[in-house]
Amino acid sequence: MTDLPLALALFLLANLAVALWRVLRGPTQADRMLVAVLFGTTGVAILLLLAEAQGVPALVDAALVFALLAAIAGAAFSVRAWRQSTRPDGAKERAHDPD
Amino acid sequence: MILTELASTVLLLAGGAFFLAGTVGLMRFPDVYCRLHALAKVDNLGLGLVVLGLMLRADGLAQALKLGLVWLLALAASATVAYLVARRALRRGIAPWRGEGP
Amino acid sequence: MPDSEHRRSAILRPGFSSLLSVALFGGLWWVLAEGAWRAWGVGAVTVIAAVAASHLLWPPRVARVSPVGLAAFLFFFLWQSLRGGLVVAALALRPRLRLRPDLHELDLRLPPGPARVLLADALSLMPGTVSAGLAGDTLTVHLLDRGLVTEADLRQAEGKVAALFGLKLSAGEGGEGAGD
Repeated sequence: MTDLPLALALFLLANLAVALWRVLRGPTQADRMLVAVLFGTTGVAILLLLAEAQGVPALVDAALVFALLAAIAGAAFSVRAWRQSTRPDGAKERAHDPD
Repeated sequence: MILTELASTVLLLAGGAFFLAGTVGLMRFPDVYCRLHALAKVDNLGLGLVVLGLMLRADGLAQALKLGLVWLLALAASATVAYLVARRALRRGIAPWRGEGP
Repeated sequence: MPDSEHRRSAILRPGFSSLLSVALFGGLWWVLAEGAWRAWGVGAVTVIAAVAASHLLWPPRVARVSPVGLAAFLFFFLWQSLRGGLVVAALALRPRLRLRPDLHELDLRLPPGPARVLLADALSLMPGTVSAGLAGDTLTVHLLDRGLVTEADLRQAEGKVAALFGLKLSAGEGGEGAGD
């Protein structure tokens, strides 16, 4: 079953694509922030599986850095970028997806 | 050896199943807070199972522990990011969806 | 906040704490280098730098962590996050999606600082809860479904975190029962 990690990596890649599409569609800005969480889990899993499938241990290091960056980027983005783009009071977003 | 390979296969497949469930939750849950639940919990369990499955295939303790370290970091990352996203969303006045009926 | 009362941090003797961090960062390096001993030249420099940085950024005055509490917390946490994944996955896959989400405000009895942060983070990975704000002594928690989590569940998690840091919580001890 040496092909399993590769197959699983491809499966997760498809998952990630679907999830990205969903998340980028919004409807709120907060939904788009979920990308950070997605890459921190699914992205990391794909890298780890590829490291095993291709025999490239360096990808494990890449996954490690990914996980670290996911934490730092998410924190920085939430605290900084989003605050700057906050609209004035009263402009509340709809949280519920219409469909 | 056969046994570890079997266990590894089962763990990897289970991990993949959880990732799928997480994506389904992401698609179906009604608002950003609920979608956070799907990502922060289900996907992390999926990652944990994948990591366990790969640990069984690692050569040597250090390599296995490194995979575990990646998981720990990913856990910390998604817990922190989930908290920050939820907090920001609340502060911006994105009201949580309350569901139908009591 | 009666801060000093809560923070019964045992001030670790500097010698011991340095030794501990050298051991910790050394172990971390060993893992990162995947046990490659020939990398120890670079490793030694890195470990010394890491120890120095950690002492600068987080002086060794860290609240005492109880080993028994740590073991209990890890066990509880792993079990709960396994349950969390299962429960939410089951909810996501249910043919008729019937969620009753809610916000819950939890009055914390934990002291400010690492204990609260750990609780907020841990709750996000447990069944049905995502932390959504920490203001004053109140932690706002988003519940995926009202029927999934009780106040007692949250109190139990709080109790585990308190035990980890060797803290005693004030009156009305939570933590018992209500877990099924």
